[in-house]
Amino acid sequence: MESTALRVGAVKRAVTCYHRPVVRQAGHFMQRRAFASSTTTEDSFDAAEPIHFSSDRNQFSKRSTSVEAPQHRGRIDLARLRVVPHSPSYFTSAPQYTDDLLHLSALLRRHHLLPVLPPGQAPRVAWKTIDQYKTETAEPVRVKEYSAILTLLKRLNYIHPSLLPAEVLETLQKYKRDVQPHLNQAKPILVDEYGCARAVGRRKSSNVRVTVVEGDGQCMINGRSLTNYFGRLHDRESALWALKSTERLDKYNVWAVASGGGTTGQAEAMTLGVAKALMAHEPALKPALRRAGCVARDPRRVERKKPGKLKARKMPAWVKR
Amino acid sequence: MSSPLCLRCLRRSLQPLDHHAASVQRAAFSTTPALGALPPKKKGAANTKPTMRGGSSLKLTKNTRVASGRPPAPGERKALRKRVVLSNTNAIEVRHLQDLTKDLCKDVSALTEAHGKVVGLENETVDAMRALEAFKATQGWNLFRRPAVLVRKETIEMAETLHDAQSKKKTVSKVLYGSRGSGKSVLQLQAMALAQQRGWIVLHFPEAKELTIGHAAYEPVITENGTEYIQPGYTAHLLGNFARANKAVLSKLHLSQQHKLPIPIQPDITLDRFIELGANDPEIAWPIWSAMMIELTAPSKSDKGLQRPPLFVGLDGLDHIMRDSAYLDMDAKPVHAHSLTLVRDFVGLLSGSTKLPNGGMVVAAVSESNRARAPTLDYCLETNSGESKPLWDPYMPQDDRVISAFKNVPVQLINGLSKDEARGIMEYYAQSGMLRSTVTDLLVSETWTLAGNGLIGEVERGSVRMRM
Repeated sequence: MESTALRVGAVKRAVTCYHRPVVRQAGHFMQRRAFASSTTTEDSFDAAEPIHFSSDRNQFSKRSTSVEAPQHRGRIDLARLRVVPHSPSYFTSAPQYTDDLLHLSALLRRHHLLPVLPPGQAPRVAWKTIDQYKTETAEPVRVKEYSAILTLLKRLNYIHPSLLPAEVLETLQKYKRDVQPHLNQAKPILVDEYGCARAVGRRKSSNVRVTVVEGDGQCMINGRSLTNYFGRLHDRESALWALKSTERLDKYNVWAVASGGGTTGQAEAMTLGVAKALMAHEPALKPALRRAGCVARDPRRVERKKPGKLKARKMPAWVKR
Repeated sequence: MSSPLCLRCLRRSLQPLDHHAASVQRAAFSTTPALGALPPKKKGAANTKPTMRGGSSLKLTKNTRVASGRPPAPGERKALRKRVVLSNTNAIEVRHLQDLTKDLCKDVSALTEAHGKVVGLENETVDAMRALEAFKATQGWNLFRRPAVLVRKETIEMAETLHDAQSKKKTVSKVLYGSRGSGKSVLQLQAMALAQQRGWIVLHFPEAKELTIGHAAYEPVITENGTEYIQPGYTAHLLGNFARANKAVLSKLHLSQQHKLPIPIQPDITLDRFIELGANDPEIAWPIWSAMMIELTAPSKSDKGLQRPPLFVGLDGLDHIMRDSAYLDMDAKPVHAHSLTLVRDFVGLLSGSTKLPNGGMVVAAVSESNRARAPTLDYCLETNSGESKPLWDPYMPQDDRVISAFKNVPVQLINGLSKDEARGIMEYYAQSGMLRSTVTDLLVSETWTLAGNGLIGEVERGSVRMRM
């Protein structure tokens, strides 16, 4: 009988701690037991207050931000003073994580009936990386665990912005990275009053600044003719591939200033620059240009050399002793 | 006079001459040929098969060169490289191809009508041009059934200039320059073909590089300008080309003056036989050349006396003769190219210091492939083109001889074709079966753009060579 009562008491204690944070100095409870030993043993301690469960099913998702003032009923009975953890997750390996997960799932449970945006149209958000999260919480969080949080965050992010509750917004804000790259809007390339569209193309370590203007198919690079600058026919074609693939080679003139990198890199950087400038003249060409492979920037660079290797990956020759 | 020992060969000649002696050991002081038996073969390692792990160096099977067949004979590779093929039997013969006939050459307005079209070269023109080495292996003659050229704007201008020079008996000189593949050498060939069809005498230096890179034998002569250098072998070679190319005209002309020559000459010998004498013997090539230049530049009489046709002189690769040559003088200093007598004669004609009293034209083309560094020439070209006044680096010495040679020489920048001309040549490619796609405006202008605004060499490369 005694053990059962003890067990029941323990369970209740765990739940209580969630509601009454930090330290409960005194209170009445049926069991008069000290969970934490005190330095002085002359006085007896009261147990924590009894728990009052409400009918609110989301009661556990609410977080009490301020420490409730303990009700002093008479004199503090130091013998019954107990140190109780703030959160029941205290006894898990990652209490903060567990709290966050529970909080997010409670939020979702509360708001999952709100209308959501169509798939793929949620505002793009850069969430904190797992490393950032681990640093903040100072807890060992695994990738799988963090992805559970991310799943919840992404679902909450789908709630229609006009109906997004303030608490969700506040919570989501906590998980966003400080710098949101997706908020950076690319400056649109416009055709200026002289009919020129200017754009920059990059590839490897080459930069090419391109000016495209309506004309009859002339091209000049760094003040030199196309043949003079690019000896290979292949390079010439790739430099003007955006115009050639869309059959616009005889309708525009191109000036370019190329710097950095090698011949092929400059030629392919020019492809991108010409495509971007051409899209300023004719935005409808974008799908055609994408199919021709002129729109995406090729992000590949030279792979760095590693210690112990001759090049990035090349191993020194094997020598027998 | 001439040194018996070539200075360039001096170092080589100091090497021991008997290389074969290395096989047989003999005393260094002895002049007697060794008659002893060959030394006995070393026993052991040399004869035994090498073991699997022997040797200190890595031996792979791919390192060993397998000699297959006969090695090429001396000069064979060069001959193959320089071989000019003027016909492609697999190409379709273009029907209704107009020929560059004598009438067409003399009638500038008819030639103007053929602007933007391709005209074939007649057989005798082809023979003459081949004799003058005006066709080059890199020019793509081997892609088509027979040699044909595009009548471009510059061709018509050239025909007008020739007509002018002949009718007014004046000397016109011109230097052609422009990007690589812009058709400078072929324009020169067209000018030569026009001149040849008009009955002119055509003299051509096919590669100025060969005059100055020091591969031809040379010897000094004392002239009024100081020491100059003659190139007997190359002069003989040029005389041979010249005689073969102009046989029809030269066989009707006779020697008119007495010349100081090392051999007795029949007094009224025809010029072609006279020149052949020099072509056959390098020893007398230079005196013959000098006499020939005097004969060709002798003024015609207005009545029935001496008659001389106009003279066309061409030179390709002008940059090589506007700088120091690779020859060395007695003090082992480089010889300026203008001190070579052949070059001196050409430069005299180009600069106008030697007059052509019967009218004529001197056309030099700058070569852009294998361009020799000649900063003064660049400066002169830019100055004479009149587009801008270039600045000369004050710390760099200027070549005064080049500056004075270029004083009054007009220069012409050769640019790309117009789109109509490009269309004409591409239609010819298509009719020859060398260009498979249909010649549309789009294709023409795409090719035109990718060929650097219609450089004809690049048009050919982009539509015929790279699209097989």
